[in-house]
Amino acid sequence: MNLSKILKNGFLIVLASLVLTACATKKTSTTGQMQGDVYTGTDSVEYLASGVPDRVFFATNETVLTTASRETLRKQAAWLRKNSDINVVLEGHADERGTREYNLALGERRANSAKDYLMTYGISSDRISVLSYGKERPVDSGSSPLAWSKNRRSVTVKAN
Amino acid sequence: MNRNIFISFGLHIFLVIITAMSLPFLAKKPIDLPPIISVELIQITDKTNIPFAPKAKKIIEKVKEKEKKLVSEQAPPKKIKKQKPDAIPLPDEKIEKIKKIKDEKQNPEKVETEIKQVSEFEKKELFDTNNIAALIDKSKTESAETKKKLDKVTQDQDKEMNFGGLTLSEEDALKAQIFGCWSIPLGLPFNQDLLVRIKLQLKPDGSIIKTEILDHARMNRPGQGFYKVLAESALRAIKLCQPLRVPSTGYERWKDMQLNFDAREMLEG
Amino acid sequence: MLLRYLFILLIIIPIKALALIEVDITRGNLNPLPVAVSPLSIDNKSKENFKKILKKEDLGSEISIIVENNLRQSGLFNPLNKNAFLQEPDVANLKPRFEDWNLIKAQALITGKVTLVDEKLRVEFRLWDILAGKEMMALAFTTVPSNWRRVGHIITDKVYERLTGEKGYFDTRIIYVSEEGPKTKRIKKLAIMDQDGFNNKYLTLGNELVLTPRFSPANQMVTYLSYFRNLPRVYLLDIETGMQEVVGDFPGMTFAPRFSPDGKKIIMSFAKDGNSDIYTMDLENRIVERITNHPSIDTSPSFSPNGKRITFNSDRSGYQQIYVMDSNGKNVKRISFGNGLYGTPVWSPRGDLIAFTKLHKGKFYIGVMRTDGTGERLLTENFYQEAPSWSPNGRVLIFYRETKTNSKGEGFSAKLWSIDLTGYNEKMVETETDASDPSWSSLLSN
Repeated sequence: MNLSKILKNGFLIVLASLVLTACATKKTSTTGQMQGDVYTGTDSVEYLASGVPDRVFFATNETVLTTASRETLRKQAAWLRKNSDINVVLEGHADERGTREYNLALGERRANSAKDYLMTYGISSDRISVLSYGKERPVDSGSSPLAWSKNRRSVTVKAN
Repeated sequence: MNRNIFISFGLHIFLVIITAMSLPFLAKKPIDLPPIISVELIQITDKTNIPFAPKAKKIIEKVKEKEKKLVSEQAPPKKIKKQKPDAIPLPDEKIEKIKKIKDEKQNPEKVETEIKQVSEFEKKELFDTNNIAALIDKSKTESAETKKKLDKVTQDQDKEMNFGGLTLSEEDALKAQIFGCWSIPLGLPFNQDLLVRIKLQLKPDGSIIKTEILDHARMNRPGQGFYKVLAESALRAIKLCQPLRVPSTGYERWKDMQLNFDAREMLEG
Repeated sequence: MLLRYLFILLIIIPIKALALIEVDITRGNLNPLPVAVSPLSIDNKSKENFKKILKKEDLGSEISIIVENNLRQSGLFNPLNKNAFLQEPDVANLKPRFEDWNLIKAQALITGKVTLVDEKLRVEFRLWDILAGKEMMALAFTTVPSNWRRVGHIITDKVYERLTGEKGYFDTRIIYVSEEGPKTKRIKKLAIMDQDGFNNKYLTLGNELVLTPRFSPANQMVTYLSYFRNLPRVYLLDIETGMQEVVGDFPGMTFAPRFSPDGKKIIMSFAKDGNSDIYTMDLENRIVERITNHPSIDTSPSFSPNGKRITFNSDRSGYQQIYVMDSNGKNVKRISFGNGLYGTPVWSPRGDLIAFTKLHKGKFYIGVMRTDGTGERLLTENFYQEAPSWSPNGRVLIFYRETKTNSKGEGFSAKLWSIDLTGYNEKMVETETDASDPSWSSLLSN
């Protein structure tokens, strides 16, 4: 093959691959909103105190705590130790992509995961109660994976 | 992070070069086409000498019974509308197609031609072409009379056809007629014995003298309440279909007949 | 000529050696049966009286309209246009001229009479077989005038049963959750209505979240989940008196309640420390019994109609699947094995099938399977739907669907839908507001 032919081929291939890349779908991980299936953003997050986020997020159908979740809960535990007269309710939620009754149980389990972790940091179980809302109280009413990831959460709420 | 980008970039360039060197490009090479062979679509006929299109409907029923696929009939005087043998249309779509065709045409005979083409490419459908009879039935009195006329025409043809030796179609003609009249109650349990046998005594013109439900005792047996419903639906079918499409000759042969109604196939589906 | 005769004989004889010709009829049509529902005849005096009491112009006509709509909605019947009827209601009720009705292609005819007797509503009706030219059924009954709608439903049930062999499902009610408001803050109330959408009534005010109501087989009790005082618990509600009481004294969330077939027990899930198990409570002696004991989530229990077995939803295999067990919790067996997640199992009143919700590749399905898990059949697919509930004759499933929202989170709606067991007649059930969590009562007239 002569050089001009190789160059011509090469040019066309580069053009073709550029066309392909232009059509690539937006990856959510690029904006840092989700990691895998778990919401990592700060959109719906509120704060119990400066630097203490009030919620942790979960993957679809999962109730295990991510590293980020544990970090958040450690901060919550520290704050609870400092404010020993405050009691909290952990509200567990699920996204809408499941049956209603199972989601109630899932929310309860998620809240309990958070509670157990707080307890390992010395917070007495008398101070923590658990409440599940299943899929009844979404924070984002959208029908997208991002919206759903924001709804899979356990929120720590001051009880008094 | 940057190192990774460079490595990725380098590998991509490597790939592009490789591909560029070895890509068989769209040159002006002449395309080698295989030689074109002309193929004639031969119509395979089971029977010859079918003078009237409406008869084709009955033949098609029989053919479908035997589960043959690509058998089509010559319908000499009519124009055949070609339909692509693509995916088997869903029963609903098919009904719509047929309904549309029905609406356009005035001549009932023509309707049946169209039906024939559609049924050619289908093996088994829940809503039969027999449904056409039921659809036509649903409209007002006028079309009921038209249908009577149509039947009369085919009765005449029946006589002619018998001379041609189409005896097997007698049974299928009767079947096709009753298929159209039998409204199967959807409420029947589809995991039970759904066979009801009815003995008939007929007059030469196909009207009914007497009906007798075999296994009559079952009608009142506890837990078999559906049998009564099944039997009644069969009786209604027979009454609705009067006069039955019986052969014009050999009265002695068929004046006592037994119809075995079995709803299982339709309901299990 | 003789040769042809011989040819005919040669063909016929090998096929049927017997003298009697037998023809197998294995197919028919599944079209709705054309029926004529004649307005019930009513004498002028009764007509005037009913007009005064019930504010209805022509009660005979009103009742027949109920029958007509019921039959049409079932998908099995095609009630014919009244304008084509040739006979007057009072004449037809005595002795219909069958040829007239045959002319309009009716295969069955319903006629009847309505009178006010001793301040009671008396109805007699007849079902005629037009083709056979005879009466199939004749019944009469008396009730209070305010029950006039139920009269229409009862007539439909009788006619339906006579013509299909199946018990009817028209004299029934549906309890559901009425929904309003934005998705993030839905207002939910318990509501009850006749199966045809009339007589809608709200049972709670909407101040607290209410979910998943169920009828008792005895029909005037209801069980449901309420977040009263932010404590999610199972409650009992008496429809007639409006009295509510919490079920048992559980130290945690109870949810997913149902009644046992004899109405004497409530079966539900109890969640504690992240684990949900199934419990029953006897409504008379208040004894609580634990049925499952497993670290997985066990929920959505449903009794078999004879009360001996229970089907439920568990994720003990890692994901939501359907299981059956004896009513004492022994012999737990998994019965769902297809691809996807399974939930909300409900045992058919006929005992032969279990309906369920399935989630697979982002789509929700309503389906049925035999009680051993074989014969799985998916009836309908949607972006989101769940929670089927059986009609009392085990033929129709009612469930609910939710719609997608757009990028702004708008456009959400939830509605009740129903579908026949055969997969036919899928349609929306009209409700005043959005609706979810439907449950079908048993026949009221039992």
